[in-house]
Amino acid sequence: MAIEILADRQNRDGGWPYVRGSSWTEPTVYAVLASLAAGEMEPARRGLRWILATGRRDGGWPPQAGVDQSTWVTALVALLPPEHLGASAHARAIAWLLGTVGRESTVTYRLREWLLGNPRLPEEEFPGWPWIPNAAAWVGPTSLAVLALEKEYRRRPLPAIRERIDSGRRFLQTRMCREGGWNHGSVRALGYESLPYPETTGMALAALRGVHSPGTERSLAVARRFLGECRSADALNWLRLGLLAHGQLPVGYCHPVAIENRTIPDASLGLLVAEAEKGRVLFLA
Amino acid sequence: MSQTLTRREWLAASAGTALLGGCGAERPIVPSIVSIVRAPVYDQRIYETVRQMLQEHRLEVRGRRVVLKPNLVEFEPGSSINTHPLLVHAAFEAFRGMGAASVRIAEGPGHRRNTFDLADAAGYFKTVPRFEDVFVDLNLDDVTRVRPASQFSRLGPLYLPNTALGADLLVSMPKMKTHHWVGATLAMKNLFGLVPGGIYGWPKNPLHWAGIHESIADLHAAFPRQFAIVDGIVGMEGNGPIQGTPKPVGVLVSGRDPVAVDATCCRIMRIEPGRIVYLRLASGGESNLTERNIRQIGESPSAVATPFELIPEFQSLRMENR
Repeated sequence: MAIEILADRQNRDGGWPYVRGSSWTEPTVYAVLASLAAGEMEPARRGLRWILATGRRDGGWPPQAGVDQSTWVTALVALLPPEHLGASAHARAIAWLLGTVGRESTVTYRLREWLLGNPRLPEEEFPGWPWIPNAAAWVGPTSLAVLALEKEYRRRPLPAIRERIDSGRRFLQTRMCREGGWNHGSVRALGYESLPYPETTGMALAALRGVHSPGTERSLAVARRFLGECRSADALNWLRLGLLAHGQLPVGYCHPVAIENRTIPDASLGLLVAEAEKGRVLFLA
Repeated sequence: MSQTLTRREWLAASAGTALLGGCGAERPIVPSIVSIVRAPVYDQRIYETVRQMLQEHRLEVRGRRVVLKPNLVEFEPGSSINTHPLLVHAAFEAFRGMGAASVRIAEGPGHRRNTFDLADAAGYFKTVPRFEDVFVDLNLDDVTRVRPASQFSRLGPLYLPNTALGADLLVSMPKMKTHHWVGATLAMKNLFGLVPGGIYGWPKNPLHWAGIHESIADLHAAFPRQFAIVDGIVGMEGNGPIQGTPKPVGVLVSGRDPVAVDATCCRIMRIEPGRIVYLRLASGGESNLTERNIRQIGESPSAVATPFELIPEFQSLRMENR
């Protein structure tokens, strides 16, 4: 899907749908980033206006206009350049991220578990981010939050930001599957090993840029294997980003033409990854 | 003075007596009809089998909006994780043939975000012509906040997809599988796929915190116009719903009452339905879990029963352990 087609799919309200229909925050952020990367400023401006209009009082963003809850999509909004989003809205998104943890890391939950005599599990040691407040932290939203905070830390190297990036990365490392790569959350359920997924493996590897460990090496091997067999544009985009973050994308890799971009995030992220492959890392930097 | 009851008065009195006497689990109720039909393999014969099965239930769907909700979980076409696309297409064609105004296929997978890719890998694009036009990704559908008619969990009002809320008939089409958190995943547990991941995430973790059994019962209460068709041609035993092993059973189980359908499936799997917590909650003290209050048509559960392997944590669910 070329950038022109992306512009065609923009809703009248300035936002983008996943496929068709109402505007959602996730596709709108990705489409704005892709439009900015392509120099398509007018669609990007309209998209940014939609995003600004849907922000919530608590500093976060809902997944869709009208939903009365800020969620993980706030990390995506925080990935937008503050010079385009507006410094104040961007700072509010970062503050929301810094104040959000998975439920298992809250004082109330830990106190309750302590009173019940339940031991703290190793994977609950480091706080990650939930999809929605008051639920557990997961690999996907934690990876996106780390990416957003890493980008912010380059602009504002504050200890509070560094601390959350580090703990988020430790969270990801404790959730790595035994063979490498990532499932959504736990590494095992009822004694059975969880198997890695391509898209979460790519996301976590992107968030672990610069982290060298045997586990990262195993996960990069898993990502390279997935890259050869995966049939999903979304997963391939994340695998490419994850491998690129570690300088491990195979030389001369070509995105299989038979794999269709079915959603706006597929198409937008595909454009952003192509830019990243050319050295324009708008998304990760 | 002698008094003769008219037939209407007699019926009213009988109903009143049934209500007054009905506090225990044994009280007789209007039996739920559940059919068990043999279907040994996924092949073209399934179209006629499903058509006949639906006719037997005398569903009135002319001019109505029907939504088929299969269970799509993972990208493994050769496995028995997902509801088979041929069965879903057979139901799609059957409901269209019965005069439904619209038939949509809709699902909101709980683990994988790329629903269209998942449906493609599961064979839906190949099997259902113009699949993209009839499919709705419930994770990303427009939503309305509703409070279920009965609330067993602490969830409170839930955002639910408009496609499912607007259906005149919601057809739950799960795979007959064991489940490592709740024992068995059937028509009722399949309703987890109605909860929009776009709002609640992947997996839909707030439901876990609110209690899985209780959330299943909430969702059941939120959708009063249901029908269920369980894909038991090849089910899954052991560590379901993902890492289990295929279990050929060769049946389709269907009915208007998902509680009775699930209870029947449990009996086929040799699981004691009364020990599945969400079934007990949803039956609400009614006895539609008990075998004598379910009118089976087609095969009897005992004629097709085959014990499903259960993980150690669920050995106590076995009917043999009564």
